[in-house]
Amino acid sequence: MALTQKSRKFLEDLHIYLLSSGKNLNEIKEITTELEDHLIEAEANGKSIDQIVGDSPSAYMESISGEMKPDLASWAKYFPLVLLGPIAFTIFGDLLDNGVLAYSLFNIIGIIVYTLLFIMGVSIVFKYTSRKQTSVTKEIIILSLPIIVSMLFYLLVLFLDTMIDTPIVNFGEIGSIVLGSVIFILIIAFSIWSKTIIIPVVLLALFLPDILLKETALSESSKLIIGMFITYSLIGLYLFYIFAKEKKKQQGSE
Amino acid sequence: MSQTQMMKGIIDGCLLAIIDGNECYGYEMAERLGDYGFDAVSEGTIYPLLMRMQREGLVTSVRRASTAGPQRKYYSLTKEGKQALAEFILRWQQLEKSVNAVLKKEME
Repeated sequence: MALTQKSRKFLEDLHIYLLSSGKNLNEIKEITTELEDHLIEAEANGKSIDQIVGDSPSAYMESISGEMKPDLASWAKYFPLVLLGPIAFTIFGDLLDNGVLAYSLFNIIGIIVYTLLFIMGVSIVFKYTSRKQTSVTKEIIILSLPIIVSMLFYLLVLFLDTMIDTPIVNFGEIGSIVLGSVIFILIIAFSIWSKTIIIPVVLLALFLPDILLKETALSESSKLIIGMFITYSLIGLYLFYIFAKEKKKQQGSE
Repeated sequence: MSQTQMMKGIIDGCLLAIIDGNECYGYEMAERLGDYGFDAVSEGTIYPLLMRMQREGLVTSVRRASTAGPQRKYYSLTKEGKQALAEFILRWQQLEKSVNAVLKKEME
C-alpha cells in the first residue's frame, strides 16, 4: 500500500529536519520507519495524516526532535565541504596565477566569517523549510537566500580589501607549496571519507579550462567562452551522473 | 503545569498499562487509546513519549517483519517500567479520590 503524497512529504521533511538538527542517522531512520509503518496502517484504515501528527506538523517534529540527542559527530561531516570548497578555490586559483600565496589579514578574517555565515544561514533555513510544509520551489528560493547573502558578504570583503590597508601575510614559495599540498590532501581525504567527489569535480571544472587554454594562441574572448563551456559541461555532466544514480537508487528501492 | 503536560503524564501511565498487558507496536497502542476514548489526542503523540520511556529504560523494543510495509517495532515493559506503572496507578488512585471528594462535597 503506497502512502499519500502528503504523508510522504511529511516523512521526508521530518527526515531533513532531524538531519539538519544534527541527530543520529540511525535514530532518524528508526523513528521515520516507525512513523511510516503507522501512517501506512492509518491510511489503510481511512485516517488522514492530520489525525496522526495533529494540527501543527512543525510542533510535532519539534517534539520528536526534543527526545533525540544531537549527534554532532555525523553532522560535522558536512562542515569541511563548506569550509574546504571556497578556500581550495581561492588557493588553487592563486597558485595557478602567481605561484605564491599572499593575503591581507582582512581577507583571511573575511573568509573565516564568510564560512561561519554560510554554515549558520544554511542550517537555520534548512530547519525552517523542513518544519513548514512548503513547496519544493519555495524551498529552493528560501535555501538560496543564505547562500546569496554570504556570497555578497564575501564580495564585499574582496571589495573593501582593496580599500583597507591591513598587514599582508606572505606565505613564500615553500609555504605556498606546503599550504597547497595540505589543502590537496585534505580534499582527497574528505572525498574518500564523505564518499563524494563534488569538490574535486568543481575545482577541475573551474581550473581545467585555464590550464588547457593557457598556452593556446586563441584570443582572450574565445578563451573565456570556451573556458566557460568546458566548466558548465563538466558540472552538468557530474549533476547528470548524480541524478541518474539517485533515480536508479529510488527505482531499486520501490 | 499546562493542560497538555498533565495529559501527557496521564497518557504515559496508560501506555505503560497497555504495554504491560501485551507486547505491542505503536499503531496498536494508538488504536487502543482511541477505543478507550482518548480520541482528542492525535495518534502521533505517543511516539515522543515512547522515545523518552525507552531512553529512561522503562520500555525495550524489538523489531519484527510485518506483513506489509517496513519492519515493526514492538515494545515491552522492563522491570523499571513495571515499577513506574505501579507508581502511576498509586498516584492516579490518590488523585481520583481527591478530585471526586472535592466535586462531591462542593457540588452538593
